[in-house]
Amino acid sequence: MASVSLRKLEKSYGALRIVKGIDLDIRDGEFVVFVGPSGCGKSTTLRMVAGLESITDGEIRIGERVVNKLAPRERDIAMVFQDYALYPHKTVRENMGFSLKVRGVSMKDAEGRINEAAEMLGIGHLLDRRPGQLSGGQRQRVAMGRAIVRRPQVFLFDEPLSNLDAKLRGQVRTEIKRLHQQIGTTIIYVTHDQVEAMTLADRIVILRAGDIEQVGTPDDVYNRPRSVFVGGFVGSPAMNFAKAKVEGGNLVFADGNTLPLAQIRTGRETALEGRQVIVGVRPEHFSTAADASLALNVKVQVVEPLGSDTLVHFAIGNETMTARMSPETRPEAGAQIRVGVDPAKVHLFDAVSERVLD
Amino acid sequence: MTTSTLSTTDRIEKQPPAWTKMLDLSDRALAVLLLAPAALLLSLIIVYPVLRLGYTSFFSLSLTSGLPAEFVGLDNYRLMIDDPVFWETTWNTVLITLITVPGALVVGMALALLANLPFRVQWPVRLSLLIPWALPLSFAGLIFAWFFHSEYGVVNDVLMRLGLPGVIWFNSPNWAMAAICLTIIWKTSSFMALIILAGLQTIPRSLYEAADVDGAGRVRQFVEITLPLLKPSIVVALIFRTITALQTFDIPYMMTGGGPGTSTSTLAMYIHQNTISFLDLGYGSALAVVMFLLSMCVTVVYLRIIRTKG
Repeated sequence: MASVSLRKLEKSYGALRIVKGIDLDIRDGEFVVFVGPSGCGKSTTLRMVAGLESITDGEIRIGERVVNKLAPRERDIAMVFQDYALYPHKTVRENMGFSLKVRGVSMKDAEGRINEAAEMLGIGHLLDRRPGQLSGGQRQRVAMGRAIVRRPQVFLFDEPLSNLDAKLRGQVRTEIKRLHQQIGTTIIYVTHDQVEAMTLADRIVILRAGDIEQVGTPDDVYNRPRSVFVGGFVGSPAMNFAKAKVEGGNLVFADGNTLPLAQIRTGRETALEGRQVIVGVRPEHFSTAADASLALNVKVQVVEPLGSDTLVHFAIGNETMTARMSPETRPEAGAQIRVGVDPAKVHLFDAVSERVLD
Repeated sequence: MTTSTLSTTDRIEKQPPAWTKMLDLSDRALAVLLLAPAALLLSLIIVYPVLRLGYTSFFSLSLTSGLPAEFVGLDNYRLMIDDPVFWETTWNTVLITLITVPGALVVGMALALLANLPFRVQWPVRLSLLIPWALPLSFAGLIFAWFFHSEYGVVNDVLMRLGLPGVIWFNSPNWAMAAICLTIIWKTSSFMALIILAGLQTIPRSLYEAADVDGAGRVRQFVEITLPLLKPSIVVALIFRTITALQTFDIPYMMTGGGPGTSTSTLAMYIHQNTISFLDLGYGSALAVVMFLLSMCVTVVYLRIIRTKG
């Protein structure tokens, strides 16, 4: 096991800067998830750590070693690829044992490690099959098995669940988490799925256009987003945003709705007076107005009963908002209702920089 | 509105044309019907000539003798056994096959690996691969006949510049055969390269990346990943190349005319000599049947290899 540190890590293709100087310290045994939309540089960063992409500038350390110039095989890492990259002409056993064979591990030792990993992943009965004879989920497990038998310092996962159906994805996700708890090796995991990031990570690194937008525990990024981007990216359904102006100690929305700022930010009202802000509220932080001290008068557009709860869609000015209400709440479409807002859960962002207003 | 409704009803009630009933017979009948034109065409241009060839081989039929065709049974085949030129040309054909097929495979593999490198501009590489393949065989024969010319040839020129003695290529059976084999390898390796290149491009890059991470070096990756995954492409290339090698005609015909003597003559050239030059269709057909059976044997062997390897 080892820590991983990235210092001013950059990657450019000609004039195009893909990764723009990332600084990050990953602790020994930590499960870190890189998450972000397509093209944010998360996979490129992972591939630079693996040694599959050269780095333009900066430094990567695995443990105490600077690995910038080292080939992948010299970095003591193991990787699970998006398409699994299993050797189609080799059996599961040969796939898992290939790296051991290459490194000259004795047959007996290799066999022991393969069986141990296979047992851990529940693929013992598949060892003599070829990848073509396996289901997607089984291939995924074999790919993980191939990584485990190596006993590397760091595991790298490149969107390993994206080829699985939703049900299987949930199942394998749990297995990955269990696996980490069992073996405790440092893991860097790349995904574009924020649910995967939230459920798996010790810490989440949210990337945007080659830069780190926020690093924090799942709790941090969910409850204390540093920007509109993070607020909108983490959580499902996404955080609602509406522009407002601070006037006379109130947040005044385009449609005339107001929220008293004093209840949201005690002591900071004067500093914000006259400023344009973006107000962010998560769907689950709206409520039926009866028990709320803050409320908005809105017109219901669409109601989506999900069984466990009801999604109520309404508009504030031009912004469509979604509220997650209790399952019994069933307002009529077109009805005028009052929705309560939890004042402790209202996020304020600067309208220009879109960064959080502390 | 009413009119339109009526006409729609009319259309629905109308019986389908009689010929479409044929299609309703069964899927099998439909399949036969659809395959019939292709089967008929193939019968005309392949099955019939092959059968006719076999039939003619049992006759004494020489257009120069002025005699009518006479059924002679297996006489033409018996004649072949005692014919030293048949054995020599057959051996030459087998020798050319044994040298040029593996030769073209090795050179073609090297070319394919080269063409598969991530060149910034791909087309000059691909074009240079295509040119030898696109060149007519007889042209290639002529060009290389000049290359190997004892006085004006570029090959002797290079040898002499290197301080080596020049060779009178086409005076010695061995040197003439060597020149022919080199030419055939040059001409055919690009075809091998194209098939292997197509195979190479189906191997996902991530397999090499996984092997990189697993610790395998370049040579190991080639042996453990590239070669096994290329096996189907290699077998297909070998089938095509072996069959055409067994039919080698143009290049030795243009370079040496089979000489010196008949030392570089191939079975195909001997068939050509008997049927076209001597107009001995009976014996020529018997020779052609032997060549056909030889090609069939090779194909069956290769197909079995493919089947057993899955």
